[in-house]
Amino acid sequence: MADLPAVVSGGWAPVAAGLLGALAVAAALLDGALAGRAAGVRSGMGQPAGEVARLLRQRRRTTVAADRLLWRIGGAGLLGMALMIVTVVPLGRWTLFDLGVGVVWVNALDVLAWAFVWLTGWGANSAYALVGGYRFLAHGLAYELPLMFALVAPAVAASSLRVGEVAAAQQGLWFVVWMPVAFVVYCLGVVAIAVWGPFSPALGRDVAGGVTAELSGVDRLLFLAGRYALLAAGAAFAVPMFLGGGAGPLLPAWAWVLVKAAVLLAGLVWLRRRVPALRPDVFMEVGWLVLLPAVLLQDLLVAVVVIGG
Amino acid sequence: MGVSGALARLALRHAHLLVIEVPGYWLTRVAVERLAGVRGWRLAVSPADADILAVCGSPGPELALVVARLWEQLPGPRARIDVAAPDLVAAALDQAEAMLRDTPRQRRDSTARDGQGLDDAPGGDIALAHGSEDRDGLEMDVLQVRLGPVLPDWPAGLVLRAHLHGDLIVEAQAGVVDAGQGGPAGGGHVVGGDTSGDIRQVDAGEVAARRCDNAARLLALAGWPDAAGGARAIRDRLLTGDRSAAITELARLRRRVRRSWLLRWSLRRVGPLPPDELARLGLAPDLTGDVWDRLNGMLDRAVFVTGGPAGVAAGGPAGAGVGGPTGFDVGGSVTPPAAVASVVSGWDVATARLIVASLDIAALDVVTDG
Repeated sequence: MADLPAVVSGGWAPVAAGLLGALAVAAALLDGALAGRAAGVRSGMGQPAGEVARLLRQRRRTTVAADRLLWRIGGAGLLGMALMIVTVVPLGRWTLFDLGVGVVWVNALDVLAWAFVWLTGWGANSAYALVGGYRFLAHGLAYELPLMFALVAPAVAASSLRVGEVAAAQQGLWFVVWMPVAFVVYCLGVVAIAVWGPFSPALGRDVAGGVTAELSGVDRLLFLAGRYALLAAGAAFAVPMFLGGGAGPLLPAWAWVLVKAAVLLAGLVWLRRRVPALRPDVFMEVGWLVLLPAVLLQDLLVAVVVIGG
Repeated sequence: MGVSGALARLALRHAHLLVIEVPGYWLTRVAVERLAGVRGWRLAVSPADADILAVCGSPGPELALVVARLWEQLPGPRARIDVAAPDLVAAALDQAEAMLRDTPRQRRDSTARDGQGLDDAPGGDIALAHGSEDRDGLEMDVLQVRLGPVLPDWPAGLVLRAHLHGDLIVEAQAGVVDAGQGGPAGGGHVVGGDTSGDIRQVDAGEVAARRCDNAARLLALAGWPDAAGGARAIRDRLLTGDRSAAITELARLRRRVRRSWLLRWSLRRVGPLPPDELARLGLAPDLTGDVWDRLNGMLDRAVFVTGGPAGVAAGGPAGAGVGGPTGFDVGGSVTPPAAVASVVSGWDVATARLIVASLDIAALDVVTDG
């Protein structure tokens, strides 16, 4: 059994936030570069910086009879969620919180995306934004249960809900190797809570940007940053859950965590360019008839192996 | 200059435009999209997302009112340009950039807007939705929403007055903005094979470009921005005379679309239109099938009119080449708005948008159905 991560003081929290920010910025740069290459324009890599400058210079606006408080909470909430998720992700030998129920903590946080995305759609008092918000809930109905059961598999295998212990239980064999279904479903869930790529109909062009239809200036910036941060936080959490934590040759454990998270993140960013959006009504069938049974079978298999072994 | 100057310079390289096309000015709109893309600018999806409002063509009174309302919704810094013809686009974009760069001017505009506009509209006078029975016999709120005339990837000038149950369109009436104004102004720009009028001869490249433009819209609505970007690039090549490269890329795009099982799975069985229904609604006979068939049909027609090597094989796997090459209605006839309203009823907004985009609309009949 490898060493469990040591809890560091809360003073290191800004460092964790900085690392999450760095991953999110890297994701935005990669996305900009890929989009630029696809469109054949010059300024691919500069796109995120330009977008930030543009939104900082832009005025905030509001709409008639907007529910401003809930609207702002929803818009800023995604970023807060991502920050809370990384507090339990061990960076090699260190972690900010060593919660006994770390896995449940992350699961509880990812459900918050339902509230935040929907509230952003609701608060603007705009038909398109509200349609977008409900589309996210429809996706949620299909991805959330499979995501929960996907997180069950590593916890069962490690016989612990402590993230550090789950990571330590993978000495020798990473969970991704013998629970690939749970890993794929988990990744789909991460893409979904970030309202990313195939799960972006909530922000669809057909409803003039959906949830983001009425956002401008710093509000839009927070929402967009929250999506990238969630993608990064989801990729980072996959490292202790499925990718062996800090295990790896040569490099120190903390570096391996970052490398693995960055590689997975790059994969998720790239995915957006390759596939069209999944319509919520169509994905509902997949979620309930394919993903849920598949991931339940995965859990059963894991449980049998754990009891048998 | 300092920080705000640097911010402005950086921001200007990534401005977002909301493009409004007056019916009949699609070439101008395409030129705006192309030249904006060259500058690294993006197309906005809503007024909140836009820095520049680009009006292509001269709007009639009804559309002018809509434009004015949208202009109020731009957060600012903002610039409005009116472009009357494709060759004026470059100058207009320069002008927009100068306006956005002019910080004192934007500051004045911003101060002038303080204390007026949307923020201070009284909250009490908003009508509540009324109720009605939905398809399952449950009491549902009914919301009246006008789709169009300004929406991303939406046929120019089309307005759908939709009665929504949630996001389900239970009933819709269609019209064309400024329908009473005697048709589109500046007829020289009416293209897309509109052979019903005495409009100038349209060349094959333009017809194919129109098909690519419509396919790009459908792909964008299906949530596949890369493929949509590819279709737009082909459209621009066809219009700027780079025909041979366009034909190769078009063949590649067609293969890529056909191979995407995810796209196929998402568009299959959506908005099926049998031939007799098409005849009843006055739609072109080659729109038979579902949205997937019609998307492939659009690309097949584009290949066919450019005389590409794959044109003969148009009766491909999707069965889109109805009647073989000679059976193609390459021009894209005039679409009656009533037909659009009829085919979207009973679908949710997302699928309705896909269906409208799949109709390969080049021009709308100005006769409304009230």
